[in-house]
Amino acid sequence: MRQPIDKNKYIITFIITAIIFAGMLYINNILDEKRFGDTKAIQDQIALDLLSSDTQFNLLKETSCKNVNGSILSKELNSLATKLTYLEANDSGAKSDELLYLKKYYSLLQIKDSLLMKQLSQKCSSKPISVLYFYGDKKDCPACTEMSYVLTHLREQYPELRIYSFDTNLNLSAIDTLKSIYKIDVRQLPAIVYNDDTYTGFKSIDEMKTIIPELKKLDAIKNASSTAKVSSSTPKDSQ
Amino acid sequence: MELLFTTFLYTFLFVVLYFQVFLILTLVEHKENLDAESVGSDTLARKPSVTIIVPIFNEEKTVVKTVLSLLDLNYPKDKLFVMVVDDGSKDSSWDVVQQFKDNPQVLLHKKENGGKYTALNYAIEHATSELIGCLDADSFVDSEALIHMMPYFDNPEVAAVTPSLKIQNPDSILGMVQSAEYSMGVFTRKILGLLDAQYVTPGPFSIFRREVFSKVGMYKHAHNTEDLEMALRLQDHHYKITNAHKAVVYTVGPRTLYKLYKQRVRWTGGFIQNTIDYKKMILNPKYGNLGLLILPLAMYSIVGSMIFLCYNLYTFTTNVIQEIERLNIVGFNWDFHAFTFEWYFYNLQTTFFLGIFAISVVLFAIWYGKKLTGIKDKHSFDFVYFLLIYSLISPLWLVTSVYNTIIKRDAAWR
Repeated sequence: MRQPIDKNKYIITFIITAIIFAGMLYINNILDEKRFGDTKAIQDQIALDLLSSDTQFNLLKETSCKNVNGSILSKELNSLATKLTYLEANDSGAKSDELLYLKKYYSLLQIKDSLLMKQLSQKCSSKPISVLYFYGDKKDCPACTEMSYVLTHLREQYPELRIYSFDTNLNLSAIDTLKSIYKIDVRQLPAIVYNDDTYTGFKSIDEMKTIIPELKKLDAIKNASSTAKVSSSTPKDSQ
Repeated sequence: MELLFTTFLYTFLFVVLYFQVFLILTLVEHKENLDAESVGSDTLARKPSVTIIVPIFNEEKTVVKTVLSLLDLNYPKDKLFVMVVDDGSKDSSWDVVQQFKDNPQVLLHKKENGGKYTALNYAIEHATSELIGCLDADSFVDSEALIHMMPYFDNPEVAAVTPSLKIQNPDSILGMVQSAEYSMGVFTRKILGLLDAQYVTPGPFSIFRREVFSKVGMYKHAHNTEDLEMALRLQDHHYKITNAHKAVVYTVGPRTLYKLYKQRVRWTGGFIQNTIDYKKMILNPKYGNLGLLILPLAMYSIVGSMIFLCYNLYTFTTNVIQEIERLNIVGFNWDFHAFTFEWYFYNLQTTFFLGIFAISVVLFAIWYGKKLTGIKDKHSFDFVYFLLIYSLISPLWLVTSVYNTIIKRDAAWR
């Protein structure tokens, strides 16, 4: 006689499997929460830093420029951007609202930072190179992916360069205001704003360097220092 | 597309998990009886006569060792016969086996070449013993193997008993991979045996009651996997196939990737095509656990693995294309992005945890398979090779087997 089917065993197996499955989903959820919590914490930190810079700037009106240090800020904004990109790429859909909130918050922080930098450069003749970048969905703006490759590359090559990027679909009034100031047309994305001038469409690395001549200057400095090294080492080699 | 795949992925993982839990529950259920199952030769009540067929085709190098290992079996000499059937070898196999011509236990037969199943049928027709088995000329038996199998035949419903297979001296990476795989096979076969759901009676040393062949018929070509078809046919006739986990048979696994690939294309393709031939069993409760769970799951896992593979290829290709696009725009540079060891970026998703769980069960099965045979295994770390390599090479034969099924082609023996 063939062993009969043990219905209970099939059911018990199902229950155990479901429990394990649910357990795994639960652990995953906890980690997700923690991830979002972390991002939130960084944003709060940046907000605090911005407030501190703002205050510093107000104090500046009475003192000198030499105490101002703005380089820490943009670094933190960059790390936040990387984390947000990760969250967006791995978004399962369940956390979309929270993600949207984080992105809006991040956009506001960027605007605040850019304004602060502008004021700083006017008052203290320091010249940070900053670019505003407006992008859209992949389907509205197929060239945006390519544009982001260029900008990421430039940011890696020139730490002096600050890129503030804005998702035009975010539905945030501050971004809308920026869009109307710089006359950004959402049908002509990607758009770059440098020195209050707006450029639309994909720009290659070389085109970007033409738009931002400071980058060429930085290249020249780099080349000069590397040739200096080579020429100083040449006599040694020939000996 | 993404959503569809995610849904599929979770279903697939759930089914895999279900299967694993089911196997482990079965083990827990029967664990107590496993050790008591086999007895020593002294207490064996009955020792029926046995003929072991050794079908040979160009096997001059290994056939003598195979026959000697059979003659060395711990079993009464007047009850054990070895029938060598030369299936039209073109090398010196026939000359080599002549050294046994004066041994009353060894019977030598030669026939025209017709394929392995014809050699088996030829031997079954000429044998007179109560039990009959087969041992390929690339396999060797442990001397206690037969003794361990006999008690199971006390149950008159048992038509066939399968052994535990191990890889003979795995001395290469590929050997280690197979060694771990076979250890897992020992575990799985035992559990399937307990569930009355074995769908293969492996060519090396499965023992049958001879009378069964007159009831269900002789071996068939069966897409070059006659051992698989015979098991399905016995199941179809509701015979019992049980497993003697302590009966150990050593087999020489393919030594090159190409030969392994050929073997697995034959096995996987044979499984798919024979299961299609016996599709009436699928989801049919008349066939117990085999019909309701094992066959559907095995087929599902093949389809699932194919989808999985396609998706992985798709993602891989998209990533490569994206990277090429990026390089086109920014050019190549050596400034690699610094690795961040922040936990934040680790992809700890549900699938990851479920994957870890599934791998743990696989490791447990390998370990338990080694323990079951009662013979100490020197290759305790073969599972490392298995985990690293198996998932990389198994898609090779999976794809070919499915392709062969679609175009209705049988895989060649060699």
